[in-house]
Amino acid sequence: MKNIIELQNIHVSFDGETILDHFNLNIRDKEFVTLLGPSGCGKTTSLRAIAGFVQPQAGKVLFEGKDITKLPPHKRQVNTVFQRYALFSHYNVFENIAFGLRISKTPEKEIKERVHEMLALVNLKGFENRNVAQLSGGQQQRVAIARALVNNPKVLLLDEPLAALDLKLRKGMQNELLRIQRQMGITFVYVTHDQEEALTMSDTVVVMKDGLIQQIGTPEDIYNEPTNPFVADFIGESNILPGTMLKDYLVEFEGVEFPCVDAGFGENVAVDVVVRPEDIKIREPEEEALHGVVETVTFKGVHYEMMVRSANYLWKIHSITCREPGTKIGMKIIPEYIHIMAKEAGTAN
Amino acid sequence: MRRFIQKSYMGLVFGFLYLPIAYLIFFSFNSGKSKVIFSGFSFKNYVNLFQDEQIMQALLNTLIIAAISSVVATILGTMAAIGIQRLRKLPRNAIMNITYMPVLNPDIITGVSMMLFFSVLGISLGYGTVLLAHITFNIPYVILAISPKLRQMDVSVYEAAMDLGASPTVAFRKAILPQIMPGIISGFMMALTLSVDDFVVTFFLKGVEVETLATVIYTTTKTRINLSMNALCGVMVIVVLIILIIANLPAKQNAKKREE
Amino acid sequence: MKKHLIAVPYYVWAVVFIAVPLLMIGYCAFTDASGAFTLENIQQITKYWPVMLRSLLYAAVATACCLVIGYLLAYCMAQQSERTKTVLMILLMLPMWISFVLRTQAMQDLLDLVQNWLKAAGIDLQVRNNALAVVLGLIYNYLPFMVLPIYTSLEKLDKRVIEAAEDLGANRFNVFRKVILPLTMPGVGSGIIMVFVPTISTFVVSEKLGGAKFNLIGNVIQEQFLQVYNPNVGAAISLVMLVLILFILIIFSFLDDETKEGLL
Repeated sequence: MKNIIELQNIHVSFDGETILDHFNLNIRDKEFVTLLGPSGCGKTTSLRAIAGFVQPQAGKVLFEGKDITKLPPHKRQVNTVFQRYALFSHYNVFENIAFGLRISKTPEKEIKERVHEMLALVNLKGFENRNVAQLSGGQQQRVAIARALVNNPKVLLLDEPLAALDLKLRKGMQNELLRIQRQMGITFVYVTHDQEEALTMSDTVVVMKDGLIQQIGTPEDIYNEPTNPFVADFIGESNILPGTMLKDYLVEFEGVEFPCVDAGFGENVAVDVVVRPEDIKIREPEEEALHGVVETVTFKGVHYEMMVRSANYLWKIHSITCREPGTKIGMKIIPEYIHIMAKEAGTAN
Repeated sequence: MRRFIQKSYMGLVFGFLYLPIAYLIFFSFNSGKSKVIFSGFSFKNYVNLFQDEQIMQALLNTLIIAAISSVVATILGTMAAIGIQRLRKLPRNAIMNITYMPVLNPDIITGVSMMLFFSVLGISLGYGTVLLAHITFNIPYVILAISPKLRQMDVSVYEAAMDLGASPTVAFRKAILPQIMPGIISGFMMALTLSVDDFVVTFFLKGVEVETLATVIYTTTKTRINLSMNALCGVMVIVVLIILIIANLPAKQNAKKREE
Repeated sequence: MKKHLIAVPYYVWAVVFIAVPLLMIGYCAFTDASGAFTLENIQQITKYWPVMLRSLLYAAVATACCLVIGYLLAYCMAQQSERTKTVLMILLMLPMWISFVLRTQAMQDLLDLVQNWLKAAGIDLQVRNNALAVVLGLIYNYLPFMVLPIYTSLEKLDKRVIEAAEDLGANRFNVFRKVILPLTMPGVGSGIIMVFVPTISTFVVSEKLGGAKFNLIGNVIQEQFLQVYNPNVGAAISLVMLVLILFILIIFSFLDDETKEGLL
């Protein structure tokens, strides 16, 4: 698959503060790419660089191989769904969606057809004469999407489009966005700080922090094979603790040796060990070498969350069986669930 | 290029706004008596200004009228805004329409109508009528400054205060008043400004013995060349500039905070 | 205690000092000095048609000029950095706080100076006491009142809406025409009202810059009330002016559809 957008060595800083630090990213055609990270990580800025609202101090933005770095936003073939929608309050739903078509002087008959097509796509048939201020958040969101898509962009940029919606509506809109993306067959570049949203929707997730890419991969890769503690911690919940790689396929942590599936770190090398809370099985203390004492128990709806103290580490365990605080337990971790990360200067803590 | 055109345009328009004032102030330093020929630099017009009893009396009148009328208007207006908020739609619209009258009417109508009113009642024009008129055109601005604050106000704070044991009066003082205080203050400042600035309404209601700064300027400039007026303009510019700079300082700091 | 009773003092005040005096204008317009009903005052108005027409024309021209000059100025100001904006705001508000009588006098003095120069240069041209001088004075006095509301509505404009328009292919001109201009109409509406109302009713500017020959409706009212002392005719003319202004308010208040509780 070819790259539709390439960000090459993009550098952006405001008032001396670096937002994007020589940033490189290739986005493939027809892909659903999500830029994920905490606020201030530069994800929105990268999106705005693609849209043309941010002029990078260095680097290039390529669109289908052509340099568009100096091209103003209105000449780019990408459209944006803005955070909190940015609808035109002086136009009704129809005119909002027709805006881009009117700018490009599309014949009236075609405008009508296309707008109605879009209204059908976003399930807003019959809303064309409504005032946008009277729509609910979810409906405004649909208008914003239709308004961008009516121009047949090759890439749709979405800047935290669901952030202002409540949880239930957000789930519904996630599915709908996926359906729209499949139906239109175009590239979506999606910005969010919600890791769950990123994992459920995307073909590719780009995890960012401080203007740098931490990891690029499929949602499965990112979740199962985080490359550093930041990613491991940011994506889902994790137990991250120091350990030693004794040799290939054997790791030691908390004074206990565990067989694992990782190799190639060398012998007796300090590493970080990642274990997801749901991957630890509770056993009787005499059955397992790794022991701990339950400190707190919280019921979380589908499982219990227990904080368990072992020799040097406080574990978070998700389990459907419950143990009272003060109980001594054994912890079973199978090799497949132990993920080893090389220690990185600066990121380990 | 764009920036340059913008800057030149702004320069041009502000030049237009300031050229006459600058000219006036320049001649306030004239040692001669002409407004056209500058004979030499001197402060004598400023000395004359502060020794001119008529002007100083007018200044005092202006300040007293402004102070009394804006205080009364703020108290009446605050009470009115709170009461109006509780009215049902129809009577509220009726009273708001009357309230808008002095805001939308030209000053001359306000002045003339009150003049007619007082003359029909046989009340002679003077300090009292000027004061009544100033309060009248000030109240609407106070109400209009407070009403939006009352509408945005979080009513539950009032209920919370009562829930925590405050009497309605205490709850009002501790929960509502602080929330609408910015509106009250800006309404008061507005009233003060309008009152100091007013010429037309005062002109129709002052009768013969009361003069405010604005009416003195009018009568003085009408009859003779008096460079004290130029000096007065210079003093006004300085005073207003200081007030504006002070007023804009906290706004700047707030803007900075918001950016962070 | 009933809470709404707190506003009763104001209701009394509003009725006595706002409503009754205004009704008094209507009453006096249709009565003679003895209080008997008459249409004579209204008939007398025909004499003043030229003055009214002139007032309307001057006010319209001045308002239109203020709108064009003022919108451009507000637009430029809104583009500046925060720091510059604060300075420009102070510069804009400063003249508004200086007595407009004094400002009109300043304009008169300046025009007299120009007159002197022209005379010295041997050019015989009347600078003051003509229509142009009056309109110039009106623009000079009331321009800031146009700029302020327009600037405020430009500042309130959501930057992302402008970006959205650019994103959808609108160039600078289209962004202005299709987004900025319609969204700042409330500011334009209140600017027009804030300039038109004082310009059509002024008597100071016309007196100082127009001389006796370019009387406006405000001068006539002032004369009737304070010099000729014929308040009945004065009231009739005031009534006509009120109708004129009401007409303009209705036309332009739809631009400013922001919650003006109870207005009209």
